[in-house]
Amino acid sequence: MQQQEIHNFLEKYFTANNCELLENDKGYMTVQLTIDLDKELMNRPFYWHYLEKTGGVPNPMKLTLITNKQQAPEDMKGEVIHFGSPRLHQIFASTKNLAGYIRLYQNNQFPAQTPLIPWIGLNMKISYQCDRKRDVFHSIGLQLINGRMEEDFHDKLLKLPLSTKIPDYAYTLSPLIKPKSGVNRIQSFLNARVEQEDHTWAEDARKRWQKDLQLLHHFYENEEEESDSYKTEKSALQEQYEPKIKIEIVNGGLFYITENAL
Amino acid sequence: MTLQINFDSSWQDEMAERMENDGPWGNWELYKLAVEIEKHTIIPEFEGLQAPAHLPELTPLPHQLEVAKQVVENMNGKAILADEVGLGKTIEAGLILKEYMIRGLVKKVLILVPASLVSQWAMELNTKFHIPAIAQKKSYVWEQCDVVVSSIDTAKRAPHRDIINNLNYDLIIIDEAHKLKNNKTKNYEFVQNLKKRFCLLLTATPIQNRIEEIFNLVSLLKPGHLGSETAFFDKYKKDARSVNDDEHLKELVNKVMIRNRRSDTGIEWTKRHVETIPIQFSDQERALYDSIQSLRGSESGLSSSQFSLMTLQREACSSREAVFYTLRNMLQRQENPSVGFQNTIAQLIKRVEAVTKNSKAEKALELIQQIDDKVIIFTEYRATQLYLQWFLKQHGITSVPFRGGFKRGKKDWMRELFQKNVQVLIATEAGGEGINLQFCSHIINFDLPWNPMRLEQRIGRIHRLGQEKDVKIYNFATKDTVEEHVLKLLYEKINLFEKVIGELDDILTKLEFGNIEDHLTDIFGKSASEGEIRIKMENLTSMIQFAEEMKEGNQRAATGNP
Repeated sequence: MQQQEIHNFLEKYFTANNCELLENDKGYMTVQLTIDLDKELMNRPFYWHYLEKTGGVPNPMKLTLITNKQQAPEDMKGEVIHFGSPRLHQIFASTKNLAGYIRLYQNNQFPAQTPLIPWIGLNMKISYQCDRKRDVFHSIGLQLINGRMEEDFHDKLLKLPLSTKIPDYAYTLSPLIKPKSGVNRIQSFLNARVEQEDHTWAEDARKRWQKDLQLLHHFYENEEEESDSYKTEKSALQEQYEPKIKIEIVNGGLFYITENAL
Repeated sequence: MTLQINFDSSWQDEMAERMENDGPWGNWELYKLAVEIEKHTIIPEFEGLQAPAHLPELTPLPHQLEVAKQVVENMNGKAILADEVGLGKTIEAGLILKEYMIRGLVKKVLILVPASLVSQWAMELNTKFHIPAIAQKKSYVWEQCDVVVSSIDTAKRAPHRDIINNLNYDLIIIDEAHKLKNNKTKNYEFVQNLKKRFCLLLTATPIQNRIEEIFNLVSLLKPGHLGSETAFFDKYKKDARSVNDDEHLKELVNKVMIRNRRSDTGIEWTKRHVETIPIQFSDQERALYDSIQSLRGSESGLSSSQFSLMTLQREACSSREAVFYTLRNMLQRQENPSVGFQNTIAQLIKRVEAVTKNSKAEKALELIQQIDDKVIIFTEYRATQLYLQWFLKQHGITSVPFRGGFKRGKKDWMRELFQKNVQVLIATEAGGEGINLQFCSHIINFDLPWNPMRLEQRIGRIHRLGQEKDVKIYNFATKDTVEEHVLKLLYEKINLFEKVIGELDDILTKLEFGNIEDHLTDIFGKSASEGEIRIKMENLTSMIQFAEEMKEGNQRAATGNP
């Protein structure tokens, strides 16, 4: 992410959260936080607790973020944001936290009564982890009437007009498959696929692990019983090398769309 | 092979709950943003770095990228970065730090560097890496800021020490880490007690092939990895000759240390031109030098200390001011100086007073006028430094002093003055370390250090990445003095200037004969005649040359060439 992309991202984030951008210029922005976002980002629970107890007038903070020091005015005071900065990580986490669950309806001007079919959509990250790491993004949707599965589901949704309210002349069909078992079907589908993949990476990691263990052992071979530091070192190596696969759900939800939408 | 697959199940529980309660539901814009972020923060391959793609203005050199990759992929963020001086260890450390920050693995960072480099580190991290590093000035900074740069001397003092000891750091970077090879020091203890996950030790001096130093540095990175200290030293005797004798130790060192040499980097370096400038003493200067020489073996009370006579002689080759300063100190230190001692000092001071000009200073002036560009003069003595500043000013040449003892702000200020306003920077030894002056390409070694490592440090200030011109080094050596002997040995016979220090270092540790400086002091202090000095110097030279050949032989054997 380049600095300009970060700037655009921040703009979208604050606007989506109904914050007013008091200033928004090349290299920096000043945002008036809402009460909700102040609680989300500023980490001052005592203030809010106190205010709620005393019934005072809430005064959410303003936040100045500098996305490019060279372009921002020289004496500008604010937080410098870069890819990797803790504040940006926090805002990333907050974005995910605020948008983990969703329910949307396809929003067309329907000429006549139209049924909308329920789907469960999941955006997921598979992490292959050992002493190194690799991630793969997957977006899968499952139709909750007939169990049909769609990959790249998110990208397909982006092409549809969607809204949080059910449009006129549209009605929803009730799912035959429970959303929960929908998630389970997606899970077993992914598991089966992952199991069939080539896992040389894990074998290699195990080999590296074994080698390091041998080296470690060499420095302890004269000790009669296992000392604590030997155990600690061994478990540190396990932590570092042991191959694992994690599937994490980034976000997801229910989508009601027309039969031929996809 | 079975592999465990963990599916995050917390999501569906909460989803069920929200369906039950009919919400709350997220905002579509934020939902899309979250997916976008995920795609940005994904690590697509097991190998390779993320950071360079996010740093469009920075073009790291191939060896720097390679180091960062190694540390992240193979060393689990615990490494000794031991590139030769001037290959850009700061960039390597910055890349690693950035990489970990992007991966969300590192937030709280402590960077300990020499005082003179604090501002420079903070500035480079900010401008080159967009990392908001703060130079520590107030004690609240430790807790409030995520990335703090400080000198180790500040950090280990109260009240900072206690604050820092209570913090958990994700990454600690220590520059000039060779100072930590002795585990009995306060600095070592301090670093050992820091709570850290990843750790980078930066040093231009490689771990010398001494078992003890290896044990100490590796223990900082991976405590407990080498077994207990006693068991370790039982196995590898403290004085063992070389790590290379033991496969396991060698393997271990390769696991934690990366060292690039200039020759490996494939980068075109500007050349070094070395010129020896012989200096002829004036009669009065010669008389002063000889009168010190003649005290050897006499009953003056001065000769009892080989060291101070040697110092005086070396000072006489630098400036009369340096001699005077030392003489005065010697007198003041004695509580009840004997009459004989007082007389000797008084006589020497008379000799000092008789000196009317400084032959080296005049030569330096001539050279500076001729160069007509920025020049750094290095001297070992503060008195000489002061004198030179005065002397140059008399001749209309502007200069600034530079010393290790300067506070950080003053060092920055002096560096800036030198870069923008004045022609000459006069530095003493301690000032040589940790300041980057690649905008200058001329060095005058007004007097020579006896330790070749220090000489390389001096040259490393200007001969580093970023230097665009060839570097010119002028060595002043007064004829018929100890200086000339040393120059001949170190700087002509063993071709020190053509080598990089790493090679010489390897050679010296192979020899296991200790510090060159000690040998020199011994030779000059204990020899009864010029002839003896010459013979002993020749012995020393042959030993070094022998070690050098041994090394070359080994290399040939290793590469399989006859």
